[in-house]
Amino acid sequence: MESSRRDMLSLAIGGLGAVGVLGVLYPIVKTLAPSAASLAGAKVEVDISQIPEGNVRVVSWKGKPVFVVHLPADFQWNGTTKEDTNKKLLQGHNAYALIAVCTHLGCVPLWKPQGEAEYNYPVFHCPCHGGFYSPWGDNIAGPPPRPLHIPPQNINGNKLVIGESGFIKEQT
Amino acid sequence: MLGRIGRWINERAHFDELWKSQMVDYKVPKNLTFPYAFGVMAILAFVIQIISGIFLTMYYQPNVHAAFDSANYTILKETPFMWLFRNVHAAGANFFLAIVYLHMFTGIYYNAYKKPRELTWIVGWFIFFVLLATALSGYLLPWGQLSYWGMVVTTEIPTAIPGVLGETISIWMKGGYELGQITLGRFFGLHIWLLPLILLGLVAFHLYLVRAAGISNPEGVEIDKKKEGVPFHPYMTLKEGAYVMGYLAVFFFFVFFYMHHFLPADNFEPADPFKTPAHIAPEWYLLAFYTIFRSIPEKFLGFIAFSLTLFLLLLLPFLDFSPQKSARKRPIFFVMFIVLIISSMALTILGTMPPTPVNAKLGLLFTALLFAFFLSLPIISVIETAASKVKGR
Amino acid sequence: MIKTVFFTALALIFFYIIWINNIFAPHEKYEMPVQYAKIAEDVKYAKEGKELFEQNCTACHSVRYDGVYPSTMQTNPNLKALQEKYGKVLPREVYESTFNTELSQLKESFGKIPPDLSTIYLSRGKEYLFNFILEPQKVLPGTTMPPVMTGRPEETAKIIAYLGSVSEPSPSEKTKRNIMGIAVIAYLVIMGLLLWVWRGSLLKRMGLH
Repeated sequence: MESSRRDMLSLAIGGLGAVGVLGVLYPIVKTLAPSAASLAGAKVEVDISQIPEGNVRVVSWKGKPVFVVHLPADFQWNGTTKEDTNKKLLQGHNAYALIAVCTHLGCVPLWKPQGEAEYNYPVFHCPCHGGFYSPWGDNIAGPPPRPLHIPPQNINGNKLVIGESGFIKEQT
Repeated sequence: MLGRIGRWINERAHFDELWKSQMVDYKVPKNLTFPYAFGVMAILAFVIQIISGIFLTMYYQPNVHAAFDSANYTILKETPFMWLFRNVHAAGANFFLAIVYLHMFTGIYYNAYKKPRELTWIVGWFIFFVLLATALSGYLLPWGQLSYWGMVVTTEIPTAIPGVLGETISIWMKGGYELGQITLGRFFGLHIWLLPLILLGLVAFHLYLVRAAGISNPEGVEIDKKKEGVPFHPYMTLKEGAYVMGYLAVFFFFVFFYMHHFLPADNFEPADPFKTPAHIAPEWYLLAFYTIFRSIPEKFLGFIAFSLTLFLLLLLPFLDFSPQKSARKRPIFFVMFIVLIISSMALTILGTMPPTPVNAKLGLLFTALLFAFFLSLPIISVIETAASKVKGR
Repeated sequence: MIKTVFFTALALIFFYIIWINNIFAPHEKYEMPVQYAKIAEDVKYAKEGKELFEQNCTACHSVRYDGVYPSTMQTNPNLKALQEKYGKVLPREVYESTFNTELSQLKESFGKIPPDLSTIYLSRGKEYLFNFILEPQKVLPGTTMPPVMTGRPEETAKIIAYLGSVSEPSPSEKTKRNIMGIAVIAYLVIMGLLLWVWRGSLLKRMGLH
């Protein structure tokens, strides 16, 4: 009887001690979480008419580089991609934004309107480890495991608003 | 699994032997009273300051243009849970000093500064001194009105030394003719690196000395450790562990519910070199020294008097050379100890009051009483030495 | 025993005086009618207070921590561009250098730049603000603050409610912190008691009691 009470006691103290350690770690870990300001979704407006057709401009959204692609209205592209999720999502839009972060290891790809290496049509080429993406960000070849991410965006005449839910509702 | 990892480590590091020799076989007097726990509480307060301080440096910016906003916007409002760390650090500094003062008064009461523990006391005095410097430098960092003007007054104090010397020290502390970026940068560096590292070393040395010279005894009679001592663990560790939990409970009450004193209102106003706030006084832990300085009409004499107070505190082991130990056994010393605490408390409280002529007279009176304590020690010692000789014969 | 009680009481009284309620030090007291104090404490009025603030105060004052800038700067195209870059709250250096012209104009008309009010609620308290905003000359003779709100105590209280909402954590956050505080203290008390009981049983077994 006496010994079982003692065991209960040391168990309770050990358990409470563990709770205490977790209690101290909790706020410490929490402070490392993103701050209120960086969580707030900033919106970036881009005037499409300022970007010549067939060109790409890099803007900053939530601290990340974002490609704003402006394709000619009758743009034809005859490459093949591993996936075509982005192309489907962006169907019917010739101005859109892509998050300019390679899905392999986070470098910023380069826009090659004249093509690069064996691809003689417009592609995005990541210089770090040789990934290739279509103008819609679908991965063609190289190490990238998936297409580029697309931020939420809305188009209003010539005004593309990145960060506002529109024809793309959520970030892919 | 965990047990096996533990055994594997232990076979190589022999932690169990270390634990046994340092904690279980280390014997302490059985009659240690509650005030003996102030030592371990001070260590805990130090650890709390280090941890919370490290996290604060991640967001604080030592730049005169950004410091105030980083403390009051980034830390207090923007970053999750950083308000808690700031509260803990601000209240923690006050609690740390409060505990250190209580620890010092305990040491004086039980005469823990006497042979063979003189060095422990002296090292402890240096800890106290460096701690005051750490607190003072940290107080500047939020760059509010109190931070700024508190430091203006502090760096003016050396000008009490006549001639070119005082002026030079003052400019040298500030790094220029007024407080600015250089001052903030240097006090930041001192506060987060140099002073805490010195403290760490001093605290380690202090603890080593406590072990080496043995802990003192409320009765003032050294014990035969083998016969009368009790194992430090679990006898002391659990007792002090329980006390420490109580201390932390009080501490966190202040952290969560009563920060008015530790984050004073005036300091939520950004530093303005063209406007002095209405009530400017140092933090409470410096007030006794401040009152001594202020009560003496002649500035240089005031400076000498408060430096002397600090110095007499350092010399305590040599002022009191009586063979008797502990206020429990020394009635005259006990009376003078009461004089000491009453006068230091009165000086502290007087420091918060406006400097009227009456208060200045009171300040002089309590300053005299404070010195009376120190000066009475050799006299008491002579009397007690004589008495013990009579008894011995 | 008497000594223990005496020293404990002395220490408690001392820390009560210097940390909680200093009965010896002078305090400036400002009065505020209860019905207005209630409004000033209620976050419900913060939104209305912000509108009132923008109508009556932003001619001179900013609340930088809430992204509210003096009206002369609101029309400055730089403001929006900078806020996109730095977020709602501009770093002080950026703010002061970009709007140097506007700030010097304000300085010229008032003798000094009218203070930013982000933390004024914390530094002055609602009672002082209430009296000061209503009748600036009475509280601080010679101030260049114009009596904009004289005779409008209710609106003043709402503005104070807004300033309070900028400085103080939101009510839900406050409750969270209170619960956290109570949990921490309860934990420490229970842990202390358990350690004490455990020590008792350990010492009994070791015959050390």
